[in-house]
Amino acid sequence: MEREAVVEVKNIHKQYKKRKSKEIVKAVDGVSFNVYKGEILGLLGPNGAGKTTTIKTICGLLKANDGEVFINGVDVRKERLKALQYISAVLEGNRNLYWRLTARENLEYFAGNRGHSRKSVQEKIDKLLHQFHLKDKENEIVSNLSRGMQQKLAIAVALLADSEVLLLDEPTLGLDVETSYEVREILKDIVKENGKTIIISTHDMPVVQDLCERTVIINKGKVVADENVENLIKLFETSAYSFTLGTPLSEKQIQMLDETIPIYEYIDDELHVTMEQEDDLYKVMDILKSDATSIEKIDRATVDFEQVFLTLIKDGEEDVVVS
Amino acid sequence: MSSFLNLITANTRKEFIELKRYFPNTLSMIFTFYFIFLAMLLGIHAIGDPSQAEMNIQYAIVSYVFWFLTLMALQDVGYVIMLEATRGTLEQLYMSPKGMWKILLSRFIGNLFLYSVILTFLLFLSMLTAGQWLNLKPTIVVPLLLITLVSIVGAGYMIAGLCVIFKQIQSFLQILQFILMGLVFVPLSVAPFLVAAPFVKGVDMIRHVMIENYTWLDFAWTDYAILIGNSVVYLLIGLFIYLKCEKIAMERGLLNQY
Repeated sequence: MEREAVVEVKNIHKQYKKRKSKEIVKAVDGVSFNVYKGEILGLLGPNGAGKTTTIKTICGLLKANDGEVFINGVDVRKERLKALQYISAVLEGNRNLYWRLTARENLEYFAGNRGHSRKSVQEKIDKLLHQFHLKDKENEIVSNLSRGMQQKLAIAVALLADSEVLLLDEPTLGLDVETSYEVREILKDIVKENGKTIIISTHDMPVVQDLCERTVIINKGKVVADENVENLIKLFETSAYSFTLGTPLSEKQIQMLDETIPIYEYIDDELHVTMEQEDDLYKVMDILKSDATSIEKIDRATVDFEQVFLTLIKDGEEDVVVS
Repeated sequence: MSSFLNLITANTRKEFIELKRYFPNTLSMIFTFYFIFLAMLLGIHAIGDPSQAEMNIQYAIVSYVFWFLTLMALQDVGYVIMLEATRGTLEQLYMSPKGMWKILLSRFIGNLFLYSVILTFLLFLSMLTAGQWLNLKPTIVVPLLLITLVSIVGAGYMIAGLCVIFKQIQSFLQILQFILMGLVFVPLSVAPFLVAAPFVKGVDMIRHVMIENYTWLDFAWTDYAILIGNSVVYLLIGLFIYLKCEKIAMERGLLNQY
């Protein structure tokens, strides 16, 4: 059965003119992806890759030069306010709150701004305060709360909107390990209990590995990977090998590796190689054989998501796309 | 309609909470206005022509109240957008499906309501203290005031639009108080061309009611037509400019820039 796309990003382009040099900068260059109902999608990319531009275009805070974004079938460009009924966001974390109001007053104010009466949201506010472990801090002024509590409150404010799609920009930025874990668990519960669709933009790899089923990696304004997190790791695991060498490599062998194998690492008689073609393994063996280097052990390398990300970013610079 | 009322309630409540939370600031504002009204009621007797004293007091107070209301409404919207952009809440407000223009309108209404209550209370308190009673005629003044305020909201939207794009317009907002002073204090009989400016016709009509005891029938239909026309035109132009500026800010990615 085909899954229902709640967010459709279709070939968006956004360029800016630099104020002084008048140089045209392509912030986003043909980004496309879908987000499906009940899915947690990780949007990854290095600084300046185009993540924030993509997120703000989805929210309608930024108008793309070209391309379309649909939320629940509503064109954000043409019917922005209607589309906003289906989406809420935490864009600047704890900075999204009024620091002179209390936690409860913030929740009530933002609910009012979406047209809800104070009375009608009291039950929901109580539930959220309990869920986010903020009930005992409900009458505390936000500036007196810890960074983690403020971040949780910002997410609670977004959830109060009861919209189908929740967009979180760096939800765990600056949080300690314990609070980061707590936020992740709450997000998992939200998806499980309410079937919400969540888009998370982050640099935090454990968050993506722990929470996201799928990840879209953006680099230099282009999508370089749109894949299930597990599949991405498997894909890289099957192509990465570790050689434990009995004798060190010669200068000549290192030069041959430089010329033949694009991604390898040689540290303390350990040679880690990422294969791009099936016969790369034989090429490595030939290079080792050329100077009679003894091989003590060959292992399939374990790859973590951070390595996958870094490799993709490097590949992205050479216009290699995984999808 | 009920969701717009909820929007107004939420924004008025927020303004009220902030007035309470910044209590020393609010208290100093209340004392300042009390003493200014008192000084006007008592002092103008001493410095003006005694035969014209009552007229001078009425003129000065009506003009001052209007100057303050317009200044508060127009400066506040500018400072609010700058402040929201600095602290990171501006984009969150733009995420409301109700639309930012409605949030701004509800803030205008909330602010004008709260400050009107404070000013009316202080005016009565000062009149009680000074033992001098002004000719307020609320049955005529209040409706005229409400129509006049519509043009102030229109001008507020123009300032909000500028602020969304340029953000740092503090210097302009400071100059604005002198522009407003000119518009409010100069009578239309001296500068008839000012009828085209926002809220000037309304202030002039209210002055006629309070100083010369005008009733509804003493005004010509053209006076009402100009008053209503001026308010509607400024509201529409203000809203148009604001929405245009909002679109430009979204195209250029200026919403959260400060």
